[in-house]
Amino acid sequence: MSPVTPPKPSPFAALLELPGNVWKSIFRNPLPSNDLERSATSFTNFFLHIHPVKVHKNSLRPTYTFGLGLVSFFLFVILIVTGILLMFYYVPSTTQAYDRMLDLRGTVAFGTLLRNMHRWSAHAMVAVVFLHLCRVFLTGSYKKPREFNWVVGVVLFLLTLFMSFTGYLLPWDQLAFWAITVGTAIAGYAPIVGKDMQFLLMGGTSVGQEALLRFYVLHVAVLPSVLILAIAIHFWRIRKDGGLSRPEDADPTINLEAIPAVKASVLEPKKTYGLQGLVRGPLTKVGQIPDNTVFSWPNLFLAELFTFVVTLSAILIVSLLFNAPLEEPVNALHPPNPAKAPWYFLGLQEMVSYSAFWGGIGVPTIFVLLLLGTPYLDRGPKGVGKWFSRDRLLANTIFITFVVANIIFVIIGTFFRGANWSFVTPW
Amino acid sequence: MAVNLKRSSGEDSDGGKTSRRRMLGWLTGVGLFGSAGLSAVSNFVFIKPRATYGQPQRFSVGKPEDFPEGTRSVLGARGICIVREGTKLAAISTTCTHLGCTVASAETGFACPCHGSRFDPDGNVTGGPAPRPLPWFQVTLAPNGEIEVDKDIEITPGSYLTL
Repeated sequence: MSPVTPPKPSPFAALLELPGNVWKSIFRNPLPSNDLERSATSFTNFFLHIHPVKVHKNSLRPTYTFGLGLVSFFLFVILIVTGILLMFYYVPSTTQAYDRMLDLRGTVAFGTLLRNMHRWSAHAMVAVVFLHLCRVFLTGSYKKPREFNWVVGVVLFLLTLFMSFTGYLLPWDQLAFWAITVGTAIAGYAPIVGKDMQFLLMGGTSVGQEALLRFYVLHVAVLPSVLILAIAIHFWRIRKDGGLSRPEDADPTINLEAIPAVKASVLEPKKTYGLQGLVRGPLTKVGQIPDNTVFSWPNLFLAELFTFVVTLSAILIVSLLFNAPLEEPVNALHPPNPAKAPWYFLGLQEMVSYSAFWGGIGVPTIFVLLLLGTPYLDRGPKGVGKWFSRDRLLANTIFITFVVANIIFVIIGTFFRGANWSFVTPW
Repeated sequence: MAVNLKRSSGEDSDGGKTSRRRMLGWLTGVGLFGSAGLSAVSNFVFIKPRATYGQPQRFSVGKPEDFPEGTRSVLGARGICIVREGTKLAAISTTCTHLGCTVASAETGFACPCHGSRFDPDGNVTGGPAPRPLPWFQVTLAPNGEIEVDKDIEITPGSYLTL
């Protein structure tokens, strides 16, 4: 008897199986039904493998993070998508930019909606990134080993501000023109490099065609690239720093004193150790059993999907209800009275109205340096992973004082300053 | 050559070879990072425009006859105010020294609509947040008899061009 040969596949069968085979070639795992498959789903999918296979229960507590980091990221995604779409119709030219805004409003399908979404997401991102920064500070999450990721986060906050600022000029209306005139003038107050910085930003001595082109390039190419790189580092560091911060008592620990500190290779010299056996510190779960974790699929992914849907819906609703402001086209001879910077810089502008150097450069620089230096100045290990921990009363008090002061300045600058920057009541 | 012979042949008993390796390592590092640093700086040299495409900073504003005695004429598009007192002529900036808004001519001199800075007729600060007086620009009489203003050259306030 001849050996059993597998039946020759007929071309028709291959055709019938084609969709299934293509699907299986892309997704190696079926929808998971057990823990092994849940792990595999997380680490065999390109978009999911940035996540850990298991995530700590504390990281999923909505009242711990309020999902602020994720909301910032999703707003950034919305900004990229709407921004790229808007680029199809925008021309960075002083003679055309404003007309293109009118076109978006009048003739481009979904033009108004896309512009609204882009504008409101940008404002929201500034606010949410700042709130995220507050969350991380008030839960003491910048402490060891997360010091450097805090620094990356502060840089991301500054980049977000700069992104928003460069985008502000592009509509080329009165609001944009004078906000940028005032904003770049504030930059000009920096010692030594101020005037050069102002000149480089504007590409000349006043806000004009060169400035518009520069802000456009910064807004659509330079800053997004840097921002994406910094976000990648930020996310990567979360994993490498041991996940989101959590209180010390969130993990039951085994008594390590009973086990003398020996290298893994000493325990069993002939065993070949994988990476897990060699790394130290917060990278692995050394000395932590049983871990308080759940599988990322579906717990983390559903939470992320929920956050995304809520973020997108909120932006859509706001964009359908409120139109992004567009004032008259630029008139370089007649500044509006008062001329105001974007709202997130109004605290700065308010301070500048008292002292140009200290308000515009001195105080903000000290504030940023303090923010950057926070994890290196505040070395106490206690109070990590709890909101308003009593162990961190001093740090939190200083931080909240700064935040409240800045918010008060922004409110004064926004609502209480009228013509000639004189004090007015908004009612 | 003779001096370096011992080192270059690697016969140094106290690790001459190692120190040479270290030095070459340092040189390589300085070379690489130095080049990277210079490349980064050259980007800024590139984006600093050598020529600006806006309005020229040096321009003619007309004949002296266009500005009779006692004139205070604001040239909005140029961002200057031409002042003539008797035979003396000057050009005062109308760009606010606070945050760059355009000041308007007022009874008491100049007033900025943005943040309330006020200046006297000579451009000295009389109120508001402006840190410096309005600059005066160099005014010269061109050979063709026209008044030339150079906004790149600031002169001491109070120094006029005598016609």
